[in-house]
This record gives sequence, C-alpha cells and structure tokens, in this order.
Amino acid sequence: MIPRLLYVPASIGLALLVLPLAGLLLKVDWPSLPALLLSPEALQPLGLSLATASVSTVLCLLLGVPLAVVIARSRPRLAGVLRALVTVPLVLPPLVGGIALLSLLGRNGVLGNTLELAGLRIPFTTTAVVIAQTFVALPFLVIAVEGALRTAGVRYERVAATLGAHRGTVFARITLPLVGPGLLAGTVLSFARALGEFGATALFAGNQAGVTRTMPLAIYTAFNGSGVTTDQAVALSLLLIAVAVIILVLVGTRRASVLS
Amino acid sequence: MTPALWKSAANALLEANLQLTRGSFTLDVQLSLAPGEVLALLGPNGSGKSTVLDLLAGLAAPDHGTVTIDGAVLTAPGRFVAPERRAIGLLGQDPLLFPHLSARSNVAFALCVGEAQLSAAQARKEADRWLDRVGLNGFGGSKPAALSGGQQQRVALARALAAGPRVLLLDEPMAALDAETAPFMRQLIREQLAETGTSAIIVTHDIVDAVVLADRVAVLHDGALIDEGTTAAVLAAPRNPFVAALAGVNLVVGSVQNGAVAAPDGRIFHVRPADAAALTPASSGTPASASAITLGGADQNVPAAAVFRPASVVVQTEQPRHASPRNVWSARVTGIEPGSGGVRLRTSGDPEVIAELTPAAVADLGLQLGSTVWLSVKATEVSAFRR
Repeated sequence: MIPRLLYVPASIGLALLVLPLAGLLLKVDWPSLPALLLSPEALQPLGLSLATASVSTVLCLLLGVPLAVVIARSRPRLAGVLRALVTVPLVLPPLVGGIALLSLLGRNGVLGNTLELAGLRIPFTTTAVVIAQTFVALPFLVIAVEGALRTAGVRYERVAATLGAHRGTVFARITLPLVGPGLLAGTVLSFARALGEFGATALFAGNQAGVTRTMPLAIYTAFNGSGVTTDQAVALSLLLIAVAVIILVLVGTRRASVLS
Repeated sequence: MTPALWKSAANALLEANLQLTRGSFTLDVQLSLAPGEVLALLGPNGSGKSTVLDLLAGLAAPDHGTVTIDGAVLTAPGRFVAPERRAIGLLGQDPLLFPHLSARSNVAFALCVGEAQLSAAQARKEADRWLDRVGLNGFGGSKPAALSGGQQQRVALARALAAGPRVLLLDEPMAALDAETAPFMRQLIREQLAETGTSAIIVTHDIVDAVVLADRVAVLHDGALIDEGTTAAVLAAPRNPFVAALAGVNLVVGSVQNGAVAAPDGRIFHVRPADAAALTPASSGTPASASAITLGGADQNVPAAAVFRPASVVVQTEQPRHASPRNVWSARVTGIEPGSGGVRLRTSGDPEVIAELTPAAVADLGLQLGSTVWLSVKATEVSAFRR
C-alpha cells in the first residue's frame, strides 16, 4: 500500500547513505591494508577509542538512567523543561560543546581554575576525552530510556506496589526489565556516538598520540598529514566502520534471542 | 468530619471517609467493610467507583478524609501510607501481568514482596500451588503473552491473593472477558475469596457480580453513595433508576439440576451453554477452564440463580411448539401495569415472572387479570450462576 512515487526519494535517500561507503571501499588499497591496520598508528587510537567509549557508555548508564526516570515521572511542565535541557547538547555542534567544556573546566574556566589550584588538570587528558564523549552521548541514552519509560507507563509499577513491593524492588525487577529494549538501544546509540566523537574532543582534549588521539582524531590527522595519499585515513575509517558493524550485529542477534 | 460520622460498626476492618474534587466532579463517600465481608460498589460509568478504589489503595490522595484498616490510619490529614505498606490488593479488568516474567514468577513476585516474604525457592514452590488453585497447573513456565485473557486474569487473581492482602479491591475483573469465560472467573473469585477469607470490595455495573459475589451493596452516583444495604434488600426496593434498571430483571433463586436451575415451584430453567457449564460439576464442563474450578462435585442441591430480562419472555395464549431449546410453562396473569418499555405483565409462580410486551400485544392477545398464558424464554437469554 505504498504510493509508487515514494520509491523515488526513498531510493535516492538510500543511495546517499550507502554510495559514499561503497566509494570508500573502492578507494581501499587492499594489498597494503593489513600492514596499515596492524601498525601502532592504527592500533593505539583503536585501543584508546574502545576504552574511552566504553567508560563513557558506563557513565551514561549510571547517570542517564536515573535522569531518564526523574524526567519520565515528573509533572509534565517540569519534564518538558528537563527534556529541553537534555536535548541542547544533542542539537549543539560538538565544537561548541568543546568550547563550553573548556569554558567550565579549562585552565581559566569557572571550575577549572579551582581544580587547577587543587592540582587537578582536566583539559588535554584522557579524562577530558571521556568527559567530552559523555557530554555528547548522554542525551541519546536519556531520550531513548525516557521514551521507553513513558511508553511503559506506571500501571505495572502501581500493581507491583499494591502487591507490597518497595520502590527499589519495583525499579530493579519491574521498571528496568520493562524498558530493556529502550535501554539497549540507548546504550548502543551512546556507545556509537562516543566512538565517533570528534569536535568536542579535539577542542577540549586535543590530539596527543596515546593520550587523547582517538580513532576520529587519528583519521583526521592521517588525512591532513598525508599529502598525496589518503590510504592511512581510508584504512582507519574502514576499521571504525567494521567496529560499528560488529556492534550492531552483536546487538541485533542478542535482541533476536531476547524476543524469541 | 464530625465525630458522629465515625461511630460506625465496631468490628469494621476498613473504614473510609473520602472527599475529593476534580474540576466539576465531587466525590464524598463514607464506607466501611467488616472482616470477611464482600461489598459490591455499583454505579454507572463516571460515578467515581474506580476513584474510590485508587483512594483506598493509596494510588491517589483525597483532598480531605481518612482511611483506616484494623484501626491503623492509612490516610489522614498529614499522614499518607504508601501503597506498598497498605496490604490492600487491586485486581482490575486488565490482568497487568508483568510481561517479562512467567506466570509462576508473577505469583512468586507477590509471595516474595507481599505479607509472606518468602525466599525465592519457597516462593516458586508456593506459586505453583497458587496456580493449581486457580486451575493453571502446568502453566507455571508460560509467559503472559502465551496465555488467553481468561488464563491471564486467573494468574492475576492468584498473584493478588498470594500477596496476602487485608482487603482486595476488584475493579470490574470480568469486564474484559468474553461471555464464555466470565462465569468461570466469577465463580473462581467467589470460591477463592471464601477459601482465603479475604475481605473485598468489587466495583461493577453487572448485577450478576453483585448477586454472586457480594454480601452487601453500595450504590454510587455522581460521587455520592445513594443507597446501601444487603444485596437482596437493595435490589428488592431500588431507590434510584440505575439500580431499578439493574434490578428490573427476573431473578429465579433455586438449585442446580442437571446444568439447569430448578425454581422452588419445580419449574426448570435451562440456561446459556456457557453458564450451564459453570453450573455443572467439573468433570462434564469445558475441559480446560471447567476442570480449573472445584464446583462441588455431583451435588445437585447447590443453590443457584437464573436471571433473564422481562423483554425476553414471549407471551402466547396457545401452547407453543418449538424445536429450539426453550423454557416453556403456563401461568396466570396476576398483574398488568405500565413499565419502562411497555406493559409489564406479572404472572403466577414461585417466584413470579414478569414479562414485558407492547400495549398492542396485550390487546391482541386479549389479556386480562386471571388469563391463562403460555410463557417461553430462550435458554440463550437466561444467564445463571451458583450462589
């Protein structure tokens, strides 16, 4: 029952998404690929990216799920305000996020000044990478989980309460399992967003090999410094795409097994 | 809020005095419940029945008022006990089984967190016994989505009772069930409430629920109780149109006889197949659901009642010959009076049966006081239940 006319823009849309990636695959210099991928210039950023994105995702879960619960169970007006505040970093260009983080935690920042006096320096460290990634990834988790919580409603929670279950028990045994699919989707989205984070990291954490040079920064560095050949950048991009695809496949099979 | 209002029955288990205003709707209700008693709260849609239940369960707070149970104050000015600390259960028309848990785990959840506070292993064992009680032996591992609506509601009943509530609130628990399943559920609720000695308030707008389940009836209209008393008394002398409409039915109180209801004067009323199955001893009923309910074996003197509308009674002056399953008998006309839907014809018998027909039909048949008439009612128009 799809109007035939819709197939035209649908095909163009799909082509727009798929063709650049296909173009990337055509540009790959396959013979030299293994050496490029196994070089320290590739493995070091990959390790740093996977580690920082994992820590960021855990932080997103620890902070984002409670925040989502508070928003979902607030009165409509307060929930609207909170939801808008959470969405701001999502619509902000990541570069602006980087500047904002610097203004707060930078050496001359409002909070950074105090931290500096206490001997704590955050900008241009691996911690800064994690903070930048969490800053851009957290809204994805909050919005996914909050939507799932609102869809699930409070009816099951109310029944659990009339059975005598205390709030903590209801949250752990009823609420969280009910929003399981939303939680999974939110986790995947925030991990992917953290893995691909570039702008805020570049400004707030810099581009120091082994400390703050994650995959996107390594790709940018390779692309800029390559002069005539972009082989290294293409190879690293391929690696990042492979990681993303593997995660999606793993989550997909897990989801299928949960449903069956 | 005067002290006089509080001088209700000394043995009351639950006492409530609730005032609430939401927009143009005002609720002002006082009610009490004795230990082991089942109260039916009758009323049209929008009369505030479900709101009363929410206020009792602690799912909402009244503007003013108090709720006490066994003397313990649950709701009062400056005091509000959370629902999980009230031991007041709630079973609505939607079973609301936790979808990620099996039937067994749903019941076990109540046993772990409810009054019993069982360990996980004990709870699983006990949950299977509860499933057995509601006729779902062997369904413990099933997820709610794999169960029928009726089965889900039976699990929900088991779960609600397993929590060990001091009062169980039932909010139209049969409303979402089809006509085949509802009589079994009703019978099951009646039996399980009696077996566990659970006090209950059932909200309904089905007269059959009130007659089968309740000791006492309270009628709620526009947020106020307008009638209250024993079920028989309220129905015998209805004080408002809503109750009159509910009560304006033929009610034959008798005993079970071969899947039909025998009236005190010996007339046999054949009833709808679904209800007949619920009247019949377990072995001969519908396999899955009937075996679920212990209906008292082959006991033929079980009290039962049949209900049918006056408009379903066909009046003729000759003995009718029909192939279809009908109840046919002859009687004398003992009264002719105007009714809401035409003319109401009272006919002799114990109990008397009222037929409703058009004035033209009365004239056509030449009916007068003392006329002998043949009455018939299709079995499918007669609902029945055990008392």
